[in-house]
Amino acid sequence: MKGRENPAEDALILLRSRICNPNFVFTPFSDSPDSNYSKLKFIISSSVTEACNNSILLLGPRGSGKTAVLELVIRDLLAEHADMISVIRLNGLLHSDDNCAVKEIARQLCVEHQLLFSKMASFDDNSQFMIAMLRECGLAHKTIIFVLDEFDFFTQGKQRLLYSLLDAMQSVTSQAVVIGVSCRLDADQLLEKRVRSRFSHRKVLFLPPSKEDLQRLLEHIFSLPVDTSLPNDYAVEFNMKLHHILADERFKEIINTLLNSDSTVKHLLRFLFYAVCHMDLESGFLSLDNFRTAMSSIQRQPKMEYLQDCSILELYILVCMKRLEVKEQNSYNFNSVMKEYKGIHDAYQTSDYYARNVCLRAFEHLVQRELICFMDNRGNNQSIEFRAVKLLISSHELYQGLKSYRSCPVILRKLVDQ
Amino acid sequence: MAETPQKSFHSPRKAHKPSPSTPIIPQTPQTVTPSRSSRQVSSPDPSDLRRSSRRSSLQFLEPEKRSSKATKYVKKGERSKLPVTPDVSEARKRKSPDEGNVVTRARVSRNAGLMRKKRVYYKKVVYDGGEFAVGDDVYVKRRENASSDDEELQVEELFETSAEGGSRRGLDMPVCEARKLGKEVVLPKPPKGKKRKRTAREKLLSSDLWTAHIENIWKEVDGTYWFRGRWYIIPEETAAGRQSHNLRRELYRTNDFADIEMESIIRLCYVMSPKEFTKANNEGDDIFLCEYEYDIHWHSFKRLAEIDNGEEGNEEADNDVDWDYGKDSGSDTEEDMEYEEENVNNLPSGPSPAHAVAANSWKGRIFGLKKIGTKKIPGHVRCHKQTELERAKATLLLATLPKSLPCRTKEMEEITAFIKGAICNDQCLGRCLYIHGVPGTGKTMSVLSVMRNLRSEVDAGSIKPYCFVDINGLKLASPENIYRVIYEALSGHRVGWKKALHLLNERFADESKIAKEEIRPCILLIDELDLLVTRNQSVLYNILDWPTKPHSKLIVIGIANTMDLPEKLLPRISSRMGIQRLCFGPYNYQQLQEIISSRLKGIDAFERQAIEFASRKVAAISGDARRALEICRRAAELADYHIKKLTSPPDSSSEDGTLPLFLASQTGLHFVEKYYPLVPKATVSSLDGSIFLCFPGKALVGMAEVEAAIQEMFQAPQIQVMKSSSKLSKIFLVAMVHELYQTGMAETTFEKLSVTVSCLCTSNGEKFPGWDTLLRVGCKLGECRIILCEAGAKHRLQKLQLNFPSDDVAFALKDDKELPWLAKYL
Repeated sequence: MKGRENPAEDALILLRSRICNPNFVFTPFSDSPDSNYSKLKFIISSSVTEACNNSILLLGPRGSGKTAVLELVIRDLLAEHADMISVIRLNGLLHSDDNCAVKEIARQLCVEHQLLFSKMASFDDNSQFMIAMLRECGLAHKTIIFVLDEFDFFTQGKQRLLYSLLDAMQSVTSQAVVIGVSCRLDADQLLEKRVRSRFSHRKVLFLPPSKEDLQRLLEHIFSLPVDTSLPNDYAVEFNMKLHHILADERFKEIINTLLNSDSTVKHLLRFLFYAVCHMDLESGFLSLDNFRTAMSSIQRQPKMEYLQDCSILELYILVCMKRLEVKEQNSYNFNSVMKEYKGIHDAYQTSDYYARNVCLRAFEHLVQRELICFMDNRGNNQSIEFRAVKLLISSHELYQGLKSYRSCPVILRKLVDQ
Repeated sequence: MAETPQKSFHSPRKAHKPSPSTPIIPQTPQTVTPSRSSRQVSSPDPSDLRRSSRRSSLQFLEPEKRSSKATKYVKKGERSKLPVTPDVSEARKRKSPDEGNVVTRARVSRNAGLMRKKRVYYKKVVYDGGEFAVGDDVYVKRRENASSDDEELQVEELFETSAEGGSRRGLDMPVCEARKLGKEVVLPKPPKGKKRKRTAREKLLSSDLWTAHIENIWKEVDGTYWFRGRWYIIPEETAAGRQSHNLRRELYRTNDFADIEMESIIRLCYVMSPKEFTKANNEGDDIFLCEYEYDIHWHSFKRLAEIDNGEEGNEEADNDVDWDYGKDSGSDTEEDMEYEEENVNNLPSGPSPAHAVAANSWKGRIFGLKKIGTKKIPGHVRCHKQTELERAKATLLLATLPKSLPCRTKEMEEITAFIKGAICNDQCLGRCLYIHGVPGTGKTMSVLSVMRNLRSEVDAGSIKPYCFVDINGLKLASPENIYRVIYEALSGHRVGWKKALHLLNERFADESKIAKEEIRPCILLIDELDLLVTRNQSVLYNILDWPTKPHSKLIVIGIANTMDLPEKLLPRISSRMGIQRLCFGPYNYQQLQEIISSRLKGIDAFERQAIEFASRKVAAISGDARRALEICRRAAELADYHIKKLTSPPDSSSEDGTLPLFLASQTGLHFVEKYYPLVPKATVSSLDGSIFLCFPGKALVGMAEVEAAIQEMFQAPQIQVMKSSSKLSKIFLVAMVHELYQTGMAETTFEKLSVTVSCLCTSNGEKFPGWDTLLRVGCKLGECRIILCEAGAKHRLQKLQLNFPSDDVAFALKDDKELPWLAKYL
């Protein structure tokens, strides 16, 4: 390898590419028999080798690695059975319309088998083509894997696509797997009763990794390989320091607070990416501080930060709105806010009194930042002053924000305290 | 141009075969399909102008085509580098072909008007002492010096070398052959140097003979008998060569056709499907096995479809014929033939311009499907020996057609009686039957099996022929499309739905139309009938109105789920449909049990209680047979998974039936008991700390697996997700339940909830994470539909509601190790 001066740069690139590569991240989970990888692989490969038609749902929260594991399984199966599998990928967000989905299936089947595709073909043509292909591929011992991402979107409407797919899978010669990927746990309840009866209800549930798995995952991602282009002693030292960090209680504390809010793999990976980016290239090693900075940058409180950026006038408006709510005035608009603002100014003789058009600008600014919002979407033709508005942050948040706002007028804090 | 091929045709055979002189030749039925011809005309073929022009001429000059096709016989000979000589001598030796007597006349009626002195098609012909029928398989002479070949079979001759060759072939039999076909008799090897008669089979397998499948038989104008043959080839002749799993007597059916004179037939042989082959008890020498079709152009294999050899098969064959004309018509001169071969070789690399029709359009479908096929038959399909569990899984598949349909005999009798009553009646008054029942109770299957039985009765001749149209409402793009589909099924023409409606009205409703007697009764099966309900319900009305017309001869069978569908419709429709109804009730547990056990007959994979458990559970929930079968299959899959995964790491041992089990782990013994309860001779021996268990490779599916399968099918996984979710989500959920208990209102807003959360956190020493984080947690839960919530942009005004009963949350989080204080609030 042409020696870059700093092996830390190579290490950084390696770590980053690892974190961004889902295939790499999910490989350590693949060997144990309890893992979703082997369960899924077993089901799909039994379809390939024994011609069992199956339909499977992959369920789990977003970011728990459903698609990543599925891709891993498909990759491995494609390597094992070279030209016996064709994969058709659909996404509910794009192809929830049956007509369009069937056309897309026909297109992908054509591409897969180097056939000519016509855009002009009708729904009937395409669905007949699909069923005929299922049959012929079954006769030729070829399996078709249908991956339906965002499965819940396919359950809108009459579900013709699902019905004809699942119905075709009941014929003798077809050899196909339908894999639905969804984050909705009740996805199978959305199926129409006829479709549900034909669905074979395999479910693979993706849960956040356990503590031990997490530890293994961290080591898997971070430990540098000893016998590659990286200098040997550097890698050894890196791994040793890393080991110390991973064993450190403070590090565990950080990871725990991170996972308290969201324990999915994706969230963890995003955090690790931040941490790796903060790695000090001078020393070339990861330190606990990197993780701390990453933690603070990943746990941001957008509404609070907005408050910090507000001008004094905007704060006045927010406080006025809050006071109106305290007075149990349910519906208010810019004019009633202005009345309140004027009342405050008259009562306390504050130095910050601005003209009405300035206030209107500040008001619009708040709307744009979604700290306040209009009650209804309908009155678009009404002028802003008369549309009813609502405060979008709670009084606690406002209070917190004012407290941490450096140059906040005392009067405002007092007003909120009341 | 049309005549040139005749003249340039200089193979000696031409002298023997008189060229037909009649100018107007009737088109044979198989070339009539208009779509084909239009395709042929439109398809551009820049590669060979001669060919394309000839092709178009072919449609009009039938005999010429025939003759050019006839050279196929010769061509094959040429391919094997042998000169072609006329087989006049042989013809002399044989009896005059005129003696062949006609047993059945087929197709004559259709062509009766035009057929005067033209070809006559037969179904069965007695020729040269043998009886040949359409659909038989025959040996065909390969070499031109047929006389010597002929003698070969009669006179014992010294064929030392080739006999040896044959036996040598016998030696390199594939390993799996013996296993798969224990019954195959290996012929005793003759002592070397002795005189030996080589059987036709051996000659075939050493490619000195051919076999072909008779598709058509006809008598030419000059009185010679011809047949259209579909070649079989031996594995050695395929591109992939003989594969290790090929059986000794295996043949492949090709899509290569040829017109062959009946003279060249040697005798009948029998090519069977694997099922027939294993059952065949006539242990003759002329039995072959054919499981796959070989595409000579793409060099790919495809399994033969098992069921559809009815009218669909015919149609398919016709299409194939046309397709071959497109490709082979230019093969009557030698140069052309070379070109042809070259062209064929080029084909797999990419679709030739002649096929520039999109595969997914209606016209192009046949091309596309032709191309599908494996280059090599995967070994595991043939050689893999199924375990009991795998066999159980295979027979429990929904796709597997059961041998018998238990529990629906009464309903099936009723359907049969209904249809027979409707057809056999001289009047053939149209009628409607409405079948309803929840999904998975065998409605469609019963009707289809009744139709199958009826078809065999039609074949036997006890009932008049009828046509059967099967439509699924959910597979139609729109309800109106049904007219089009019906019309296409009845007439084979594609028209728009309005036109189709008009034509159908003409056919069914118009009384003035003549020749009503010729129309066959038509049975229309409409599955998922409820999908045809349009706003003004005109589609249903039209369809159900036709049967009431006097000469319609239409019988409609509608299938749907709801019992009261007719009542929901307009009265004029329900009065037409609702008279005769048949209800398919949900299966009870005994019936489900019978259905499962009848499928599992002869497979020892399930405990009896397990089946009973599954069927009781399903009967209690839905009575859906599909569900019951799926549960059992899933249970078998789980058991299979456990066996394969937990024992596979040292996989060397799985061969000899010993599965090493690591009993050192705590689950081990339990595992043995659970999965192998009925192992009679389980011997346990200890070896290096791990314990090996030897048993005859048997595992039963028990209650545990069925339970797991039922859980998976019927339970939403929310409890597991709640249990494993993050700490904050748990607190969030508990706060929701708490809020629910306190206010009694199911719906709450984010603002109220976050106050509750912060209360819970502060009183139990947790750090309150901040509102924005909490909002994110709530939205995550909303994504999984554990709670129902509005968009996160509404922030504190966001409305929240639990999607599952609060008891589920209580059950999941009551004894949480991470947060023991949660139990207080539940």
